[in-house]
Amino acid sequence: MVGNYITDAVREIIGKQSDWIEASHPVESSEVRRFFQAIMDSNRRYWDKGYAAETRYGSPVTPPGFPVHAFRRPSEQTDDPFDNRSDPEFDGSGRYMRLGLPKVPVPLAGILNGGYEYEFYSYAKMGERIRCRSTYRDIYQRNGKSGTMVMVVIEDEYATDTGRLLLKSLNTQIMR
Amino acid sequence: MSQGVYFDDVAVGMDIPAVSKGPLTTAHVVRWSAAMENWAPIHYDWRYATEHDGLPDVLVNGSWKQHVMMQALADWAGDTGWLWKMKFQYRGMTVPGDTVTAWARVIGASERGAFGVCDLDIGLRDQKGVETSPGTASVVLPRRGGPSVPYPFDPQLLA
Repeated sequence: MVGNYITDAVREIIGKQSDWIEASHPVESSEVRRFFQAIMDSNRRYWDKGYAAETRYGSPVTPPGFPVHAFRRPSEQTDDPFDNRSDPEFDGSGRYMRLGLPKVPVPLAGILNGGYEYEFYSYAKMGERIRCRSTYRDIYQRNGKSGTMVMVVIEDEYATDTGRLLLKSLNTQIMR
Repeated sequence: MSQGVYFDDVAVGMDIPAVSKGPLTTAHVVRWSAAMENWAPIHYDWRYATEHDGLPDVLVNGSWKQHVMMQALADWAGDTGWLWKMKFQYRGMTVPGDTVTAWARVIGASERGAFGVCDLDIGLRDQKGVETSPGTASVVLPRRGGPSVPYPFDPQLLA
C-alpha cells in the first residue's frame, strides 16, 4: 500500500517564503578562487583585475552560479557540523533544504537533487553581499516502479545588498 | 574582453564548443565538497556510499556538474552576449574515473529587438556517451555591427 505523504502539515508550508537572508560575509577573492579552481574554470574575468576592467563588469566577478553556494556558516555558529556523524542518515545539513524555511515534514530518509531551472541577470562582484529569498513553490508525490517520491520545488531569488538581481532558480529536491 | 559569437554566424543544428573535465578523481570531489562545506558522506566516504546507500562509488556532486555546463554556455556567449536561461535534470550518476563533457546544440534562433536569442539542447555526457544532465538553455547574442547585450541583463530589452 502506498502512503500519502502530502499531509495537511506539508500543504501548510507550500507557498511559505523566507525573509531575505544575507550571506554571512561579502564575496571575497580567495573564496572565489577556491570556487573557480574547484569547478576547473579559470576564466580571467574571475581574477584578473586588469582584464576585468576592460569588460562590461569593470572588476572581477564570480562564476554565474556562484550565488547558489555563497551561504557559508557564520563565524558565530560554532557547533560542529560533524557532531551528528553517528546518525546513519547524516547528510551534513540537518536536512534543511534552505535557510529560513522549515523542514519538509515527510518521513523519507533520502534527498536527491533533481535539477535546476535558472534565469541569470548579473554576476556578483568582490565585496558585494549576496542575499537570497526562498519559497516552497510546490510539494507533490509521485508513485512509481522505484517507489514513492516526494518532489519539493523551491524558488530562489538572489540579489546583492544594493538590490541588483543576480539570478532566479527553481530547484527540485527529491525525497525518497 | 572575450568576444563571443555573433547571432549572424549561428545556424540551427550547429554545436557550440564542448567543455570536458576529467578523468575526475576523489580529490576533485573532496575539493568541491570542502569549498561548499557539503559534508554529505556519499561524496567522500566510500564505505558509506557503497554499503549504506548502495551506490557504485562516492558520487561527483550534481552541484559541481552544473558549472561545467554553465562554463560551456557562458564562454560561448562571451563578454558581449549573455547566458540567459538554463534548465536541466540530474538523471545519471558520475563517479571518480569518469570524464564529463558539456555539450550544446542550437535548436532555434530568433531575432528579438536588436539582438538574437538562441535556444539550445544541452547536456553533460560521460566518457561512455551516457547523458547524465539533459536540458535546455537560451543565450542572447549581439548582431554583427550591433551593440553588445546590455549588462546587467534585462529580459525587457527583448520585447
